[in-house]
Amino acid sequence: MSKLKEALEAGHFPLVAEIKPPKGVARDGWLSPVSDLKGKVAAFGVPDNEHARMKLSALAAAVLVQQAGGEPVLHLACRDRNRLALESDLLGAGALGLENILAVSGDYVTLGDHPQAKPVYDADSVQLLQIARGLMAGHDSADLPLAGNPNFFLGAVLIPEAEPLGPQLLKFRKKVAAGAQFFVTPPIFDLDKFRRFRESLGDQPVKILACVKVVSPEEVAQAATGQHRKVYSLPAAVLQELAGKDPEETLLKGAAVAGDLLKKIRAEKLADGAYVKAQGRSDLLARVLEAAGV
Amino acid sequence: MIIAERKPFQEIKEAVAPFEKILIVGCGTCVAICLAGGEKEVGLLASQLKLALGLEGKRPEIGEITVERQCDLEFIRPLCDFIADYDAIISTACGAGVQFLGELCHMKPLFPALNTTFIGVNETVGFYTERCRACHNCYLGVTGGICPVTMCPKGLLNGPCGGNVQGKCEVDPARTCAWCDIYERLEREGRLGQIEKILPLHPHDRTTTPGAVIHPAYRRRYGGHE
Repeated sequence: MSKLKEALEAGHFPLVAEIKPPKGVARDGWLSPVSDLKGKVAAFGVPDNEHARMKLSALAAAVLVQQAGGEPVLHLACRDRNRLALESDLLGAGALGLENILAVSGDYVTLGDHPQAKPVYDADSVQLLQIARGLMAGHDSADLPLAGNPNFFLGAVLIPEAEPLGPQLLKFRKKVAAGAQFFVTPPIFDLDKFRRFRESLGDQPVKILACVKVVSPEEVAQAATGQHRKVYSLPAAVLQELAGKDPEETLLKGAAVAGDLLKKIRAEKLADGAYVKAQGRSDLLARVLEAAGV
Repeated sequence: MIIAERKPFQEIKEAVAPFEKILIVGCGTCVAICLAGGEKEVGLLASQLKLALGLEGKRPEIGEITVERQCDLEFIRPLCDFIADYDAIISTACGAGVQFLGELCHMKPLFPALNTTFIGVNETVGFYTERCRACHNCYLGVTGGICPVTMCPKGLLNGPCGGNVQGKCEVDPARTCAWCDIYERLEREGRLGQIEKILPLHPHDRTTTPGAVIHPAYRRRYGGHE
């Protein structure tokens, strides 16, 4: 059974640390968070061609995480696969013992490094969750029986700062109805906004992992010039703390900020767990956890 | 209507440069409205070709004719005799018109002058925007008259992706998110309930190309194609 699921259900406020599959087949470096932190975090998030930039297959990376002793959360993007490939990869994940699946639409291809690629989106994230549910129940999307059912702990994305919020909540309700059991948010920096969102959301039959992120120097520079275009806000106070430093200092300070946010989210029980993004760097992840008192 | 854009002149010129008698066939419907392949554009292309090929010392004979629609046999069949006098044909129709004309003049080299872009609308003079992907399964009745297949770059059927920022599309910040538009319109109309139901996977088998439609009244006549 998924350790992440167990920890969430037991109310242990588990952490998921995101790793960054490389553009290439190198095995050194990007897997170090697994060996360094596997005692402190419940699972490791494995993005699937994140930001539409081609990387090592998330499924392969998830298996490498598993071999290194970590429990992966496999992201599965609708952008790159039709329903046959989605189902086939889900069965592959199931056969390899990967249970945690995060169903995402996937950033559009023109935003990434293969802008002329054909975008697929044969299924959307709601339909992908339905497909995964179907596989768990023993049939594929064509209603054909399986020889052995996979077992998944299904997740999806929830956008607390969406404006307008109505359409996102519509999608959230559909994701819950389609079988999502946990949700991951984009990075949270504005706790007031997140607090208000949690109050308006009320009790839900799902677990929420709040994302905390070590902001990259590039993102700080974008925000300073008003070019920050993300589904989350970077409050002026946070920017002030991060501005005017060299890149490495920005990251170190960003880790302290993320750690502080994580500490508060945990203390206030604003989420059931957290998803930590720290550029995939072991040292930064460790600093976030240290600053949070984990 | 079908929207198209003219190909780069250099590409058209290189395609027909080896020929001495060239006929440019225009199309008087969609591509005339979007100022890409009607009678005026045929005349312009003919003049450009004469000038450009003339500078290379060539003196091709370039004929011009524009028919009502190249996607209709009724209008292109009368061209048969006319075409016989030429070595090569340039069609300024959409891809459908070019191919239909090609079936008629299959012994002649045929070149398209346009890149066909989409099914869209004439917003105002010179400004055309896409509205339909011809997906064979219209959702407009459910989605408040705004097409999620076309207006959402990802073609998502069950709500917005997580990438829109303040209601603007992840792909093009100048555009509003199609799903935010759908939600707003249905909310205004008090019909939000109809998008609460999860739409199933799209039936892509219907879009297997090349498509064919037989009007119910003609099924007996063309039954063999069903």
